[in-house]
This record gives sequence, structure tokens and C-alpha cells, in this order.
Amino acid sequence: MSELTHLLGDPGVSFTAEDDFQALNDLFLERGWGDGLPIIPPNLRRVERMLEYCDRPWNQPIGLIPPRWGETTPWRLAANAVMAGCRPEYFPLVMLAIEAMCVEAFNLYGVQTTTHLCAPLLIVNGPVARELNINAGHNAFGPGRQSNSTIGRAIRLALVNIGGAVPGTGDMATFGSPAKFSYCIAENEQASPWEPLHVERGFPADASTVTVVGAEAPHNVNDHESTTAEGILRMIAATSAIPGSNDIAYSGEPVIAFSPEHAATVVAGGYSKADAKRYLWEHAWIPLGHFSEENIERRMRVKYPERLGNAGPDARVPVVQKPEDFLLVVVGGAGKHSAFIPTFGATRSVTLALRHHDGRFVGSVQELRRA
Amino acid sequence: MAELRRRGPMTAVICSDAFLNLARTQARVFGVPDMPLIVIPHPLGGIAMAEIKSRAERALPQLLDLIRNFAR
Repeated sequence: MSELTHLLGDPGVSFTAEDDFQALNDLFLERGWGDGLPIIPPNLRRVERMLEYCDRPWNQPIGLIPPRWGETTPWRLAANAVMAGCRPEYFPLVMLAIEAMCVEAFNLYGVQTTTHLCAPLLIVNGPVARELNINAGHNAFGPGRQSNSTIGRAIRLALVNIGGAVPGTGDMATFGSPAKFSYCIAENEQASPWEPLHVERGFPADASTVTVVGAEAPHNVNDHESTTAEGILRMIAATSAIPGSNDIAYSGEPVIAFSPEHAATVVAGGYSKADAKRYLWEHAWIPLGHFSEENIERRMRVKYPERLGNAGPDARVPVVQKPEDFLLVVVGGAGKHSAFIPTFGATRSVTLALRHHDGRFVGSVQELRRA
Repeated sequence: MAELRRRGPMTAVICSDAFLNLARTQARVFGVPDMPLIVIPHPLGGIAMAEIKSRAERALPQLLDLIRNFAR
């Protein structure tokens, strides 16, 4: 008897059915197990194959996913990764992303249950991103690659099936977002003139990391005209200055995804990543008078009493509280566009690295494959 | 709140009707399925003072019932 067969012996954790694709999909849809798209039935053989890339006990808890606080074990997560269409070698990143989302600072309970339309964005850095062919170039946020599409989808299925993020019962999003189907990219490190996100956060360049962000979908910043760093940065700063942003309401950490071309222009102007953050912070603000009277009285003066308690309509309301709160990455292919990605606000991004049990960084997912 | 309820003092959660399913599910998840819920009409945000008062008026009799039942 395999290890998995043993785990599935507990009552209620598995069921026997005919291997009929349509009938099983109908059953899964009827029970609300999924995202509404067809799933790959997670049978014993497929789940065992997924777990070939799991180097820890298959029933060792990774975390609890709210609001159901469902215990996330590798084998339960593997079933969702199978359903999503993941290749087994993607599985270490799926586990790592869930682990990162369960870090308290991420506020997964809030991200899951809020009326806001956020979804966990996964930003993958390091050699494993390239090994797994995760798209960092043209259409990185869109469809086209099995890795981006299915890793992100596995996360969503786990959030629904294990965490109970069922629309209207556990997931109270007023609108939701297409980003809730799948939201996974890699940083375009080769095309970036700056240190990549994981290096900025203290990891070595040859470590592989996942950064999770409770984010809205990307909003485009078209700038085909600016030829200077200041021009590009000013356009991005102004685009980020939206009064209806959760990042202002809750002191969040929005993402700026620079295209390689925009990043090159900014660097040509002599801007380090920290310099660019400072410029953005100095120029990304909204006049207090752009908020409604009720918002000024009920929220802005209450939230920021020292700065805005008695301020007039021309007072500056910064988009973020300090320069470091802008999270900068370089993503995408050719083109004079960047993207502003607001967040849920009441959440902090979390970066974790793929590691061996002894703490060494993983250089390739093949190192995690079971003998 | 679940922990408070388990310890014995009078407890209740105020929730708007649109969130009733979430509140019931959470009460079950946290092992206090009998957690009293004081239900007020949705929404709670973006309403005028008169509407806030009307919600308080809806909540008050439910709170009084809770106190009476607790005292028994």
C-alpha cells in the first residue's frame, strides 16, 4: 500500500467513482469544488505523480487557509494542483506560495474574505523561474504558458477547496477579478537593469523565491513620449494617484511593474531602484480636496490625524507612506508601457525561498524530486 | 470572540445581513456554532447618521433578548 493510499484511508477524504471525465467534472461543479472551468480529475495515480516533487511528509501541514482554516497538507494541495493542470515539477512553487500566504503579515484572512477585488499575485524570481519556463516577457500577466496559468490556478483552487473562499459565503468580494483565476508571473531578470526583487530583499541571486502580493489586476501606464527618467517616473506616479485606492485607505504596498524599455530609460537617467522609489514617493500624491467631504472627515482625518487633521484641500495625500512601500519589478516584453498594481492595502507582500531541509537554497526543482 | 464565548461571558457578533452566511460559517469553523448573531441591514459603510441610528434600533431589541436569555 502506498503512502498516499494510507492517508486516503481516513473517512471522507476520498471517494470512488467511474473514470469518466465529464461525469466527474459535473460532480465537481455541482459540489462547488473549483473555479467553474473543467478540472483534471485528481485520481490516486495523478496525485502521487504530483507528490514526486514533494520532499516533506505528505501529511505534514503547510498552513491553515482561512476562512475555513482548512489544513493544507502536501497531498491535499497536490490534488488541487492536479485539478489545475500543473506539471509535477511546478509543485514545489505551489507549496511555497501557500506557505508565504500563510505568513501572518500577508493577512490571508482579509485577502480571502474582503469585499475588495484582490487576488494573490505570485512573483517568481531566481533560476527556478527560468527552469520552469515561467513567462516574464510578452503577455506575462496573460495566458499562454502552462506554468503561469496552472501554478496560479492551483493557488486559486486551494484557496477555494481547502480555504473555503466560496463566492458569497467565504469570498465576499463585491466584484472579484479575472486575476482570481490565475495570477502568476516571473520577474524579467535578464531584461532588468536593477537588482531583482529577491536580491533586493536579501536573498542571493541564485536562490529561487516566490513573492506573494494581495493585489488588484494590473493597470496600464502608457508612455510613448517621455525620453527621460523623470518623465517616465512622473507619469507612473500620477497614474498611481487614485483616491479610491485601498493602498491609501490602509497604508498599502502597491506594485509598479516596469517594462524593460521604461526601466532602461529610468536607469539611463542615473536612477537606482531606491532612487526611483524615492522619486515616485515624492511625486505620487493626491490633493486632499480630490476626496469627497465624507471621506476627508470620516477616513483621511481619522487615519492620518497628524498630517491631515486640520489640513486644507491642497494638502498632499501620499499614495504610499514611505518610498520603500512601492514594490518595483521589471516585467514584460517590448513596448512603452508599465503597470500600476494596487493592492488590498491591509496586507504586506511576503517573499520566501525554495530551500532544502538543512536551509540550503534549491538551485533546481530536480533536487527536490524523490528518489 | 469564539474564545470569549467558550470562557462563558455573554458574547455576540454584530453582522450585516449580507454577511450572515460568512458569520454562520465562521462560527461553525471556530467551534461555537451557537454564537449569537445580532443582525442589522446591509450596508454598514457609507450611510448617513439617521441610517446608523436605525441600525442601532434594529440591534437593540436583539441585544436585550440576549441579556434576558443570559440572565436566565
